[in-house]
Amino acid sequence: MRPASQADGEIVRAVLAGDRERYAQLVERYRDRYARYATRMLGSMDAAEDAVQDAFVRAYDQLAQCKDPDKFVGWFFLILRNRCFAERRRNRTSASLEAADEVAAEDRTEGVVETAERRRALQLALLELTPDQREVFVLKHVEGLSYTEIAERLSTSVPSLKMRMHRAYDKLRDELRDHT
Amino acid sequence: MSGHDFHPLIKQLLDGDVTLADLPAELHAEGEAALRLLAAVDRTDVSMPAVTWRVMAALERRRRRFLPWLLAPAFAIAAALVIWLRPGTPPPSAALVTVRFVLVAPEARQVSLAGTFNQWDPQATPLVRAGTTDVWTATLTLPAGQHQYAFVVDGARWVPDPGAPAVDDGFGRRNSVLTL
Repeated sequence: MRPASQADGEIVRAVLAGDRERYAQLVERYRDRYARYATRMLGSMDAAEDAVQDAFVRAYDQLAQCKDPDKFVGWFFLILRNRCFAERRRNRTSASLEAADEVAAEDRTEGVVETAERRRALQLALLELTPDQREVFVLKHVEGLSYTEIAERLSTSVPSLKMRMHRAYDKLRDELRDHT
Repeated sequence: MSGHDFHPLIKQLLDGDVTLADLPAELHAEGEAALRLLAAVDRTDVSMPAVTWRVMAALERRRRRFLPWLLAPAFAIAAALVIWLRPGTPPPSAALVTVRFVLVAPEARQVSLAGTFNQWDPQATPLVRAGTTDVWTATLTLPAGQHQYAFVVDGARWVPDPGAPAVDDGFGRRNSVLTL
């Protein structure tokens, strides 16, 4: 029996060697980690699920190009990110109220109407940000990453991220002036 | 700074670089409002349990679908014509190369190109029919190196380029190989 914590690189190499079914282990391991990111980026759980699925299929197709199999997850994230950005470009105008309602559906257990309403308003406002702005907001304030971690993940600089984020704050404030 | 922009110190507060206590008294109310905004961020975990089987099913479906395409369609005569950016001179290292992809497909309603250069996205690179002829073309600028690709006819049929060498992708599908 294989150990549960088998390294990503070992699984990637096994898949490339022909053990196709092992890919399910990687999907199982990372699908939920990035489900929230995709959902907040796209504003729709349905769209997010399609994006995550598609990203895993694409990652499989390109697995031989994963230069460092031990860093599969960082490489996969970039594929998912590109997929999310492409989806937003395709559906730029579809940031809908329904989508925000869907994403904010977990609010039902919150029990505080005011908080739920503010959360829903924030989700709508996030959809008004540019994808770059939304991404840095999601990674920092939803995923809880530091600027340094985000910079490493996106291969960019902290000052550039902060500039993006600060513009996002201003845009959010503008969008949410009736809720703050 | 517009009237709706946050004060720079408030942005630092939102970034977690300073606390409310660090702010001058006149900014406390604004700071509290800003923190209420962040408190509305939905950090609820999202789980997508169906993604694992959906991914594996998609890979399996595709494997089966592509098997018939081992017998490449007789109607398709394809060629990739390589046009160097600067004809007559060798490309510099890390050069970009313009490539013209051509497919003769009389019965096709639409043709596109999917490959390593567009994350195998069958919608990313459509070919254009040349007038009323049966010839479909697309011209891309690609980095020097090796690329794998296939034509996608009518959004569903993946056709390797019989005019180019091909490799097995491990699922019975043949990917054409272009070396620039």
